[in-house]
Amino acid sequence: MPALPPLPLAGEGRGEESCSTDAPPAHRPPVAALRAAAGVGLRAPHVREILAGRPSVAWFEVHSENYYADGGPALKALDRIRADYPLSLHGVGMSLGSSDPLDRNHLGKLARLVARTEPALVSEHLCWSGVGGRHLNDLLPLPYTEEALDHVVARVGQIQETINRELLVENVSTYLAFADATIPEWEFVAAVAERSGCKLLLDVNNIYVNAINHGFDPDRYLAAIPAAAVAEIHLAGFDATGPCVIDTHGARVAPAVWSLYERAVARLGPRPTLIEWDVNLPEFAVLQEEAATAQSILESHVAIAR
Amino acid sequence: MRSLAELQRDFAKAIVAQDGVAPAVFIGGADSVIERMAIYRRAVFANYRNALAATYPVVRQLVGAPLFNAAVDAFVRARPSTSGDLNDYGDAFPAFLATCALPDGPPFLADVARLEWAIDESHRAADAAGTPDLVLASLAAVPADRLPKTTLHLAPSCRLLASDYPILAIWKANPPGNAGDATLAFDACADALLLRRDAGGIGIERLAPGDYAWLAAVAAGATFAAAIEAALRADAVFDLDRALHTHIGAATIVSIGVP
Repeated sequence: MPALPPLPLAGEGRGEESCSTDAPPAHRPPVAALRAAAGVGLRAPHVREILAGRPSVAWFEVHSENYYADGGPALKALDRIRADYPLSLHGVGMSLGSSDPLDRNHLGKLARLVARTEPALVSEHLCWSGVGGRHLNDLLPLPYTEEALDHVVARVGQIQETINRELLVENVSTYLAFADATIPEWEFVAAVAERSGCKLLLDVNNIYVNAINHGFDPDRYLAAIPAAAVAEIHLAGFDATGPCVIDTHGARVAPAVWSLYERAVARLGPRPTLIEWDVNLPEFAVLQEEAATAQSILESHVAIAR
Repeated sequence: MRSLAELQRDFAKAIVAQDGVAPAVFIGGADSVIERMAIYRRAVFANYRNALAATYPVVRQLVGAPLFNAAVDAFVRARPSTSGDLNDYGDAFPAFLATCALPDGPPFLADVARLEWAIDESHRAADAAGTPDLVLASLAAVPADRLPKTTLHLAPSCRLLASDYPILAIWKANPPGNAGDATLAFDACADALLLRRDAGGIGIERLAPGDYAWLAAVAAGATFAAAIEAALRADAVFDLDRALHTHIGAATIVSIGVP
């Protein structure tokens, strides 16, 4: 077969060399609780550099859907990274809060990936993404009502049962709020955890973005969150140039968000913290710098606690 | 109070609608609500444009970004995504390009799009087990009376694609970002292509008519005997022994099924 030039394709890990085995590497470290250290979101353009250099990173998080394929180079690259680092699976397409039935095929692919990679954490978003069979493939806002709360609690239960794991549920950024809402967002988020028994992935940037967009006090939000339920924190950058603040994951963490993060760590205690970056992806070293800033905040809190 | 399902249906309708539409179910003045609904609408459509640009980079290069984006927007409205995994979306895009979005576009456009979708599928297909030696040995061990009804199995990443146009040459000549030549001399006419993923990535080769007919029959589940008949109809001097060794050796055929 003739050799072809590199194919102009996107997608995680494409073009990576493959290894010859399908089985997970035998020297994989056992699944253990993730320590409260700063991790980095794994993105396709950085995979080659990470495989070659094995940089010092406490853990990686990936978007689960990027590994729902039946095989191929992306999965093999993930197996190799998982052999050396703890992993967190972060779903973007479960449509947790949709009034449509849960997609059993999608859920089955998550269960398959959980079994393959034995991640330290598995998370989904507190949002909906499609209705009436039509997917919009975005993180859309829920009306914070008793009906939506009952619905989400039941669905979290279904997911946890299927993957036989504790799920983390993440608060999302929103630009619109429903007039019919009867529950403040922070009470809704806390109630999802209390009633379903799931853990929370607290996105501190999203709290800040929503506080600006909807005019509430972010510290009031933090105060309502049960510390024991928070298993992970997310940090990212936003875009404040438009009519409201947009959660782009396309910039460094803003100073006001670092400050809110310090208050979150002080109140909740140190938690595994992820730097997320999706748009205008910089060099991997920039993500490591952001992670180092989060790490120093985590460590200074541990020092105070001692 | 509206139900969750009603609120979500109205929201989805507003996303798909043109700018300036938002249901009256949100907090805030009408102008502010319409402006904020537009943030979601822009994000949703940008997401699909980016996803399909990643799957169809050469189609985008051939028609240019403005036409490509307009075609994606129309496609999203006409053939919405039904999966939470965006990697699944876009298999109907080639046919949509030819019939709805760009009916006056280059005649080969839909076939180049089919090639790009095949590449995308091949990337995501299951890994193959079995080595050429193993396949040849198991084929040699089949009793003569059972050979006609034996089936051959292609690697999951294999895709066969035929076109009336030289789509492989067009695809190679128009990588994204290059000022390629979309109007290649049509000295070569039809293409019969085999795609297969190996450790180095996706390989694409042009097949002779007999080999293409034979592998297409094999892919469709034909028996050993029926596949040979199909090959001979396309090429009266089809050489089975050569074809077997070539395509088992290249790990295109990765296992057999003995009746």
